[in-house]
Amino acid sequence: MTGMTMSKPARAVGIEIADVNLSYGSTHVLKNVDLTIHPGEFFAFLGPSGCGKTTLLRLIAGFAQAQTGRVLLDGQDVAPLPPWRRDVGMVFQSYALWPHMTVAKNVAFGLEERRLPRVEIDRRVAEALDLVGLTAYAGRRPAQLSGGQQQRVAVARTIAIEPKVLLLDEPLSNLDAKMRVSVRRELRALQQRLGLTTIFVTHDQEEANTICDRIAVMDAGTVRQVGTPMELYENPANLFVASFLGSANILGDGDGIAVPAGKRLVFRPQHATLSSVDGVPLRGPVTHREFLGATVRYAVRIGGSEILVETPFQSGAELRRVGDTVGVALPPERMLYLPA
Amino acid sequence: MALAGTRSAGQAALALAIALFLGVFLVVPVATVIYVAFTEKGGGALTLINFLDFARTELFVRSFWNSIYVSAMTVVWASALALPLAYLTTRFEFRGAMLVQTLGFLPLVMPPFVGAVAMQLLFGRNGSVNLLLDEWFDFKIGFMEGLNGVIFLQAIHYFPFILVNLSAALRNIDRSMEEAAQNLGAHGLRLFRRIALPLALPGYIAGASLVFVKVFDDVATPLLLNVKEMLAPQAYLRITSIGIDDPMGYVISVVLIVVAVATMWASALVLKGKDYATTQRGGGGLARRKLKPREQALAYAVVILILALVLAPHVGLLLLSFATVWSFSPLPDGYTLAHYARVLGDSSVYIKNTLLYASLAAGIDVVIGGAIAYLVLRTKLPGRQWLDWAASTALAVPGIVLGIGYLRAFYGVNLPDGTPLATLWIVIVMAIAIRRLPYALRAAYAALQQISVSLEEAAENLGATKARTVRRIVIPLMTGGLLAGFVTSFATAAVELSAVLILVQSNSDAPLAYGLYVLMQTPAGRGAGAALGVIAVIIVAICMGLAQLAADRSQRARGLDI
Amino acid sequence: MIRLSALTVGFALGLILAAGAAFAQTGKVTVVTSFSKDVTDPLKKAFEKAVPGATLEVQNRNTNAGVKFLEETKANNQVDLFWASAPDAFEVLKSKKLLSPYKPKATGIAEKVGSYPVNDKDGFYSGFAASGYGIMWNERYVKANKLPTPKEWQDLATAPYFDHVSISAPSRSGTTHLTIETILQGEGWDKGWRTTKEISGNLRQVTDRSFGVPEAVNSGQVGYGIVIDFFAFSSQGAGFPVKFVYPSVTTLVPANVGIVANAPNKAGAEAFIEFLLSPAGQEALLEPTIRRLPVRPETYAKAPAGYPNPFKDKNLQGLLTFNAELSESRTAAVDTLFDQLITFQLEPLKAATKTLHDVDAALAKKDNAQARALAKEARDLIAAMPITAAQAASPEIRAAFTGGKEKSSRQAELEQQWAAFAKEKYAAAKAKADEALKLAR
Repeated sequence: MTGMTMSKPARAVGIEIADVNLSYGSTHVLKNVDLTIHPGEFFAFLGPSGCGKTTLLRLIAGFAQAQTGRVLLDGQDVAPLPPWRRDVGMVFQSYALWPHMTVAKNVAFGLEERRLPRVEIDRRVAEALDLVGLTAYAGRRPAQLSGGQQQRVAVARTIAIEPKVLLLDEPLSNLDAKMRVSVRRELRALQQRLGLTTIFVTHDQEEANTICDRIAVMDAGTVRQVGTPMELYENPANLFVASFLGSANILGDGDGIAVPAGKRLVFRPQHATLSSVDGVPLRGPVTHREFLGATVRYAVRIGGSEILVETPFQSGAELRRVGDTVGVALPPERMLYLPA
Repeated sequence: MALAGTRSAGQAALALAIALFLGVFLVVPVATVIYVAFTEKGGGALTLINFLDFARTELFVRSFWNSIYVSAMTVVWASALALPLAYLTTRFEFRGAMLVQTLGFLPLVMPPFVGAVAMQLLFGRNGSVNLLLDEWFDFKIGFMEGLNGVIFLQAIHYFPFILVNLSAALRNIDRSMEEAAQNLGAHGLRLFRRIALPLALPGYIAGASLVFVKVFDDVATPLLLNVKEMLAPQAYLRITSIGIDDPMGYVISVVLIVVAVATMWASALVLKGKDYATTQRGGGGLARRKLKPREQALAYAVVILILALVLAPHVGLLLLSFATVWSFSPLPDGYTLAHYARVLGDSSVYIKNTLLYASLAAGIDVVIGGAIAYLVLRTKLPGRQWLDWAASTALAVPGIVLGIGYLRAFYGVNLPDGTPLATLWIVIVMAIAIRRLPYALRAAYAALQQISVSLEEAAENLGATKARTVRRIVIPLMTGGLLAGFVTSFATAAVELSAVLILVQSNSDAPLAYGLYVLMQTPAGRGAGAALGVIAVIIVAICMGLAQLAADRSQRARGLDI
Repeated sequence: MIRLSALTVGFALGLILAAGAAFAQTGKVTVVTSFSKDVTDPLKKAFEKAVPGATLEVQNRNTNAGVKFLEETKANNQVDLFWASAPDAFEVLKSKKLLSPYKPKATGIAEKVGSYPVNDKDGFYSGFAASGYGIMWNERYVKANKLPTPKEWQDLATAPYFDHVSISAPSRSGTTHLTIETILQGEGWDKGWRTTKEISGNLRQVTDRSFGVPEAVNSGQVGYGIVIDFFAFSSQGAGFPVKFVYPSVTTLVPANVGIVANAPNKAGAEAFIEFLLSPAGQEALLEPTIRRLPVRPETYAKAPAGYPNPFKDKNLQGLLTFNAELSESRTAAVDTLFDQLITFQLEPLKAATKTLHDVDAALAKKDNAQARALAKEARDLIAAMPITAAQAASPEIRAAFTGGKEKSSRQAELEQQWAAFAKEKYAAAKAKADEALKLAR
């Protein structure tokens, strides 16, 4: 993306979601959701399909109505505002470009709705297209563009109106793997430049980790934990978060170790090492070994469960064999006891 | 490679079968009649001199432009009537939508002769409305005068077509298109105008072009209003003149066919690349919002007003069927059940025949129409477009030309016992079926366009042959569209008269429309004719309702209801 | 064994066929007719009673559909009789050799009724009834618009009747054609056309089927109609507020029946014709739902009082001997002239006529010689004809309609010529009339 003539909004805006409950008929889709999104943040709603993340996004945009709770945009309750007055720019998963309009007309749409003078509209359209690098395609129809280009038009269309907030509904899911990496970086760069508060809905933890400031991990309508990628990784608050972000080993009292009631022992494969069995509470036979180049991954049965241990590979080092009984050593600070 | 070979062999066989069908039941009969247009009377050599004469005759040129004008204005007015109703039923949670859906279809079911008589009694120069207007306000409105009268009647008659088309097109819009516009600040009528209507336009144009052609080729309505200076009536008058073997009637028939094909071709051209339906992923239609009480009242008022207008012919028909004498007065002099008593006896055989013929004809139409749509949209057979155009020309062929053509083509063919083929009632069914085929074809076409090819490819990928895929995937998904085609074909087939008049050979083979025609030849028969007309409308409405119910149930059973 | 069964089958078939022939006189008699159920039902009943064993199968079609049907099915004809009013249809069938000649055995049938010979001179079709033409009007319409009651044809050409009259086109109604032809023969070509155009200038509409006229009058769409009498009487019978009058010079038009060539049941067809002409059949015509005029003079003794009698009533006697050959020689020309000069030029004709009515009204108040002269010129322009009587009957013109070799031009060319002629004349007439009006006011 080139050029940087779009001005930062006067002031970035925060979003507050307080005690929201939303049901469709008898299906309770959002349960007691509480979230605060700071001005200028690149915030993610992360979770598996059906967790309610898109519904939450549509709630903010005004396409869904909650039964209880409030959504505050810059301190104002948005409930009385219909979607066309909320001034939140949304990029749809399908891009939703209008096939009967050119790229330029698509981008100009929101500006025309705001009754801006033609000169101003043309200028901002040109800027927006320039920002996403599609100036040359202004006269084309969406059907003539590739998936990636269409997505950029959708983005340009929303930023042209200089919204208070940017909402992205799984914007990368229709792109191929290579494009995803480059486009997500571009999105991040764009967001930084514009300083827009942005919400990014995704089911892919790598996307969330790499570009977002903070993440809300959702499962079955509830927010399980909110934090920076590192926080969520290092200090998951529960089993769901622990296993959703990165791989996690989970052991309970059924595996022959002492855990507090109602809790499980959780640790990451790369934090454990293999040792001799003496004096080590965790021990068991090696059931599997994978050589991964930089690391070696061992599967060890402990009690009734199987855990993974990853150790860096040093050339010449002797590897354990399948069947060997080993001890798994874990520094205490890496032992997490999380509620089941 | 071999698989692809057998696949296209099957398709080619199907295409050939359909081409044969169209050839035997449409092209050849019509050709035997209109070849006269290409010969000079008395000579035998092929010539285009008649067409030159056509262009040089002021009456024909005037008629041509009159027809174009009437057809275009009909589309405009029918759309004007349909648009508010389409808007209300697709955009809002509106209880009246059910009412609109059931009653909105009725104008299409208007028996010949009586409908126009009823309308004259209501809206004619000395009809109910004008008599009252003259008495109270001292002026009259020329609803039924000249070309405007034709436009008035035709707009009311074809309004359901446009309504159904427009509603379906609106319902097929991807919801996110609308939400994206709302997100950027648009709403209400502005959103409807900038986003919904343009996206619905292709579907609408497909239906509108059909209406244009149908009105252009309609003989009955202008003649009943005594408007002769339009192309189709001119053709009819010339073909049916006694004693003068005039080629001009057939020349005009050729012009009618050419215009029909040109219109279809032009609309296909305009729609090319604008197949929005197929590029959209979701459908889902516009989001519906609830109406506030004041808005509800307004909505009901609009709906009732429009429905009252488009159902006026049926109201007039009903009044006429109960009337003792209705002449130069706003309402009949008195009421009686005598007309119904008179027709109830004879009508059972007419009803049986009508149901039989219309169901068979509509069934044939749906099968052939669906097959043609499939061949055109899903195969790459060369020349498949010609099947579509050939079938569509059936709209333009005047019923009498088809009737005469059938007699010519089939009377010479004898069954083993010596009776001519043309005396069998099945020939009547075929004539009706061919004339209604374009409706079913367009409906099937639209339905198939909405279905993504990937749905079929997935089935084939999992081991289903093309035939099984069609049966298990395509047809269930097309049910809605095929039903719409069946219903339109059925409803219009039930009141078909012009070809029937030539082909019916005995009373026991006659449908309702024929019985009606016979009754309308005498002054005393008018009430009875109206009674028969009402019976026809009721029967068709019931059948349509049942068909809708049956399809809904089967859709629900398969979880396909939208 | 096989030969024996073949023989048996052949013998049985032979028996059946012979039996069939024996039943032929009775059995099914098929008739294609344009008459309505009101007419065919009572006659069918009476026929089946008079000829036991016979059943009449009625195929109701409008006249031209009937003719076309017979044409198309001649290779394997299944129809015995053609039964209609319009003699022109019979002429067409005769010329295409679709009729068989038959001389009825019935005696006591008149040679002529009114001006017309009852039967075809070559014996291909027979007249069985006649009807009179007259003027029908809607009482409510006339009352509401304060219009006069008509008595004569000429009344219809006067000012008060402007835009209130209806007629069916001669090209579409054989009986109307005969009426116009009678006017042309009675008054002469030029005067006859003048009269016709004067009346036509007052027309509201020209219908394309005979029944369209009474239908319009019944509904009150139109005030006056030039109709066949039985339409008026059956309308009155059905309760419509209409009245009817025979002008002092009335045309009578015949109704005919003919046997179709290669009829499957020739004997049955002949029986039907004999029945129609028998006293019983002729009496049936007097029934109120049928109300035709019998061609058997003695039947009128059984008729109710006041029933028109063409053999006694002065106004039904007819002025002259109708020249059927002349009529046939120019049928197509007369039909086409009417359509091209009147039917399809109705608006210009009416416009000129209206202005002339206004001129007359103004002149009645204050006379103006110049205006009067201009009005006469305008009327002459309207009355002008593109061809003479001689030309109308000439082989060249005839051939244009039949496609024969002698034609001077094609039918379409003739039509365009005549249409252009009318357009020009009417425009010129309107211009003159406008001038006259300005002067008269």
